Formats: sequence, structure tokens, C-alpha cells
Amino acid sequence: MPRGGWYSVGVVLLFALLPFVYGNHALLFNMMMYLVLAQGINVLFGFTGYLPFGYVGFFGAGAYGASLAILLVHLPPVPALFVGAAVSVLVALLLAPLLRLSGAYFAIASLAASEVVYYIVSNPHLVSLTQGPYGISLAQVYNSGASYATMVVVLAMALAAVVYLRNSHMGLALQAIREEPISAGFAGINVVRERTRAWLLSAALAGLAGGAYAWHVSVFYPKSVFDLNISVFAIVFTLFGGVATLVGPIVGTLLLYGLYNWIGISQPEYFQLVFGIVIVLLVLFLPNGLVSLLRRAKIHVP
Amino acid sequence: MSIRPILRLWPFAGAVLLSVFFAGVAAQAAPVPKVIRIGTLYADSGPFATSSQSQLQGLRFWVNDANREGGVYVKAYGRKIPVKLITYNDRSSTTIAATLYNQLITQDHVDILAADFGSVLTSVAVPIAQEHKMLLFDQTGTGANFFTPGNPYIVLTSLPTSAEWPYALADFLKAQTQIRRVALLYATNDFTGSQAQTLRRRLQGSHVKLVFDHGVPTSTSSYALLLHNVQAARPDAVIEFGYPNNDIAFLHDLQASGMKFKMVFTIFPGQLFALMKSSVGVQTLAYTYTYPTPPLLVYNKVNYGMGLDRFKEAFRKANGKNPNFLNIAGFNTGLIIQKTLDVAPSLDQLALRRSIVDFSGKLHTLNGTFKIDTATGAQIGETLPVGQFIPGSRGLTVRMLYPPDLAAGKPVYPAP
Repeated sequence: MPRGGWYSVGVVLLFALLPFVYGNHALLFNMMMYLVLAQGINVLFGFTGYLPFGYVGFFGAGAYGASLAILLVHLPPVPALFVGAAVSVLVALLLAPLLRLSGAYFAIASLAASEVVYYIVSNPHLVSLTQGPYGISLAQVYNSGASYATMVVVLAMALAAVVYLRNSHMGLALQAIREEPISAGFAGINVVRERTRAWLLSAALAGLAGGAYAWHVSVFYPKSVFDLNISVFAIVFTLFGGVATLVGPIVGTLLLYGLYNWIGISQPEYFQLVFGIVIVLLVLFLPNGLVSLLRRAKIHVP
Repeated sequence: MSIRPILRLWPFAGAVLLSVFFAGVAAQAAPVPKVIRIGTLYADSGPFATSSQSQLQGLRFWVNDANREGGVYVKAYGRKIPVKLITYNDRSSTTIAATLYNQLITQDHVDILAADFGSVLTSVAVPIAQEHKMLLFDQTGTGANFFTPGNPYIVLTSLPTSAEWPYALADFLKAQTQIRRVALLYATNDFTGSQAQTLRRRLQGSHVKLVFDHGVPTSTSSYALLLHNVQAARPDAVIEFGYPNNDIAFLHDLQASGMKFKMVFTIFPGQLFALMKSSVGVQTLAYTYTYPTPPLLVYNKVNYGMGLDRFKEAFRKANGKNPNFLNIAGFNTGLIIQKTLDVAPSLDQLALRRSIVDFSGKLHTLNGTFKIDTATGAQIGETLPVGQFIPGSRGLTVRMLYPPDLAAGKPVYPAP
């Protein structure tokens, strides 16, 4: 088993078994969704240094791609999910020139790009194709249990992708590019190709998560799947745990999304205060995420 | 007589005895609950916060009012039981809302589930309620695709589906011989897009022609340029369908532009009159048209719950302000729940729905006639008439214009 493999198996088993002891499956589903998105952000930001504020664009494209495959081509939901991922990859290919930017320029450009995708999808003139701003209804294929199981599989795929990157030449190459792209190029790494592969992989993960989400909720509006908050949460969870590791985004999502729901359910009036304090403390004292605590204690973090 | 036939009957007799025993145990195991738990969501931030909180305030007012009387009569238990309202804050997010609707059903085990305000926050509740076989009391989520014959777990309580809203408006326009050219400007979302579609369809084949038909993003905050385009089309009437922020921006820009149209129609002055009056001013609203809803519209034929005057007085006393339509919508949901519990033989969710079908069309509240499409659960009893704001010595009053049975006068057309 490659390093980190057992952690992945444990997390997948946890989410496969939790529904038998905990009834709020929507909470578990959303937690898995954010785990996948956090790992998608991890693939891109953790391994290449590109922070995509507009990551939700791929999620929305996946949700719409899968939904339209179900509605227009009458594909069953599971194959439709892969169509959703393909649509996200296609969007990522079109947006690949953004990788020529870096830092804040890239972050803002990716945000603008996701808004462009949103406005195209919700354009009233495309009602016959995308239903425009009037939303999608997949009531005819709604299946909460099957969509939950599918998200477990998508989670397994996302974790496997990161385990691969943590243990492969490609992962090492990406980290070399992140640290010093020119030196990496001199060392024989095809910088453009490796970055683009990470970009497409990250988009595919978001597309799969978007498709599974669309199937699970079955009725949604463009604003629901292109909501900037989805990007923000996924980025915060990733940073909270620690990037370029398998465990960091898992810990970040489980703790922060758990806290988010616990406060939101039990003490909603303190939600913004507590959540805000946690984020400020993180930025001030743990800029490299929770896993940096383990590293300081000389504990290996997969 | 042989004993064998009697021995053959022993297993059956035993089964009957066991059944009676377990039925008795079951009856003992289902004691009368101390409270009836009603679960709902609200938004304290985000785009739906204002409307959602008003709706919750109305529902909470009903809960307090019912509990002052010792609770609501629950036929299933043959006695009055207090009501407990369990609420969570979804912050206008559908993702959070989905989690919280599940929380209400699976963790809090609510007896009654009511949706948050509007179609967007109701949309995620529809499949969740159906999956858990919980009847969803949909308060103001008017999206037409929520209501399908295959889903018995939804009832729309306080508004008709949005596609039905412009029925009276379209008929009113067709009845005005002076109006031949109409400009239609609408926000592109499910709520107003479906109204635009209905208006278009119902005007087809009549003497009224759409000379301007344009959708804008719901986030539109400036209508100045669009108004010039509308003016260029020389319409006899301008219909603007939007959410409150759209209506406010539209009316603001209309006032600022100095343009005059013979007839201007917007949706929300009729629902959120106090908000619209404070946002755009009396002068801007004067002679404009709207869908008047309670409290601007008074239904006299009330046979269940408070009448409008009593409600206004009690609400003012409890909350220190005049009620708006969404307060009434929330309160009306409470009344529908109360009536349902009053007549349903059990708290089984399909039994609740069957009971609602039984009293559908016979219940007249301060919000109008409660009548549902028995196949889909969509509201068809409450209609939205057309009215016009007329300035006078007591400020603006609403003159009902259409349909004829509600009409209290003729329109001032063209607007001065």
C-alpha cells in the first residue's frame, strides 16, 4: 500500500459506514463533497501553487454537464457523472491559458472565468439547452442512497489521486515547479505539460463532485452550483488543514466543516463570531495549516 | 367430538391473542406528546434574509398565539397540545439548507416540516421531504416544477405558483381598450421568468401586443439605459417583474429619469408596501399598479382564524410594527397546520395530506381561500388581483381594479 493509502481507505470506509449510525445524510454528503473539492484545490494549489478562487466554475460545469446528459441524452446518472467531469475538463482546457498568469492575477482571473461560465449557463437565451436561470429538476432520477454511494466512490477517486501525487514522479515534478519553475524546466521537467495535467485533474475532480451533487439535490438553480462560497469554503478547509499533503485537507474539512455545522445548528447566533475567530487565529499562528503542528513535532504527515 | 380440529385452531388463536397483546403494548408505547414539534428554517443573512425573517415572524406569532390558548387541538390524540417551533439559520444558502432540513427530520424528528421563504430555499427541501416521506408545508416557494402528481409530500400554503400570478393582470390588460402596446421587462429567474412566460402566452391573439420584451439578470441594479429603450418602443403600459431589489431600482431610476408612462406595474409594492414606500417614496408609487395582497387587500369571508383587522392589532401589539404580506403568509401557514392537526386522524404524513385535501376549498383565512390542486399540492385558491395606488389626503390607498368581483373603481389611466 502506498504511503497515505491506509488513511484514504479509513476515510472512505468511515463515510461508507457513517450513514448506518447517523441519520443526517445530507451533512455527511456535503462533508464528502467538500473533501473532494478540498483535495481538488490541494492538487492545484498544494502541488503547483496556483490558487483558483473560481474553482466553483468547474463544480458548476460538472453539475450542469451531468444534468444535461441525463435530461437531453437520457443517460443514467452514473455515466452522466463522467460526462459532467468531461465538461469540466473541457472548460479547464479552454481556460488553460490562465496558467500563464500567477499569484493574485491567476486567482482573480479564475474567479472572473467562473463568473463567465455562470453567466453563459444562466443566459435566458439558452433556456432550450441549459434551462437558463430557471434551474434544473432531476426529480425523475432522484435517488438519495445511490447518489450518496456515488459520492463515496468519487471521494475514493479524489483521495487516490492525491496519494498518487504524493508518491509519484509527477507529484515531485509539480512540487519542483511550484518552488522554482525555471530550475524545474532546466532539470528536464515539462513545466507546461505537468501544470496543465494538474489543472485538468483538479477540474475533473470538481466536475465529478458537481455531478454527484446535482444528482443528490436533484432540484437546483445556477446560483446554487456557481456559488462563490463553495470555492471559499473548499480553499479555507484546505488551508486550515495544510496543503500538499493527503491528510491536511481531510483534517481541515472534517474539523472546520464539522465545527461549521455544529455552531450553525446549536449556536447559530455565534456562528460568524466563532468561525471568524478560528480563521484569524489560523492565519496568525498556523499559516501552514494544522499539519504544520505535526511536522514541528517531527511526525511524518502523508 | 374429536379434539384434533380444536388443536388445529390453536396457532390461529395464539396469533390473534399475540396481535391483541402487541396492539395494546403499542398503544401504551405511544403516549400523548408534550409538544407538537414544527421545524422550519430562516435566513438571517444573504439575499433572502429580509423576506425570510418576516415570514418566520408571522409563523412565530401564530405559535405564540396558539400556545396562549393552551396549544392546538390534535385530533390524533383528542386533546390540545402546545406547539414548539424548532428553527435553524440557513444564511440563504441552499447547501446549508439541505443539511438543516435533514437535521430537522432525522435528528429533531419534527412532526411538521415547513420550508423557508421562496423557491430557491424551498427547492432543496422538496426531494428531502419526499425521500423521508415528510409532508412539506411550502410557505412561499412557488416554483412550478416542485408540484408533480407523483409527489404527495408537498402543499403550497400561502401563495399560488408563480406561473399563475399574472392571470388577472393579463385579463386586465386585455380588458383595457386603450392599452394596445405593452413593454415587458423582467428579471431572469424562476419566479419572474415564469410570470413573463404566462403573460406572453395569455396576451397572444389579443389586441395587446408586446412591443418590448426583455429579460435582465436578477442582480440588475440600474435600469436607466433600459428605460430609454422602453420609452423608444412607445408602450401604453410598462410591466416590470422583479424581486424587491429590482422593483426598487426600477422605480428609483424611473423617478430619476423624469420619464412618464401611462401605466407602470411592479410586483412588490403590493406585498412589501412599507419597505417600498420608504425606499422609493409615495410620489413614485402614486398611480402605479401592483398585485395587492393582505394587508392591502382585505378578504371579508374569513371562516378560520383571525380576520385582518384583529390580526393587525394583535401583531402590532406583539411586534411593535404593522404586519406585511410575508408576516401574514407565515401566520397563514400556521393556520393551515392548525386546521390539518385539527382534522387529521393521525400524524402519519399521508394522513395529513389527505386531511388537507378534505378541507381544501372550504377554508377562508385572512390570506384568501385555501384551495390546492389535489393532484399536485399547488395552491390554486388564492388569486392575485390588480390594484392601483391612488394618492389622497390619507396617503396612498389601493384601488382594486380586477377581477370584476373585487373591483372597487376604475383605473386612473393614463397616469397623471
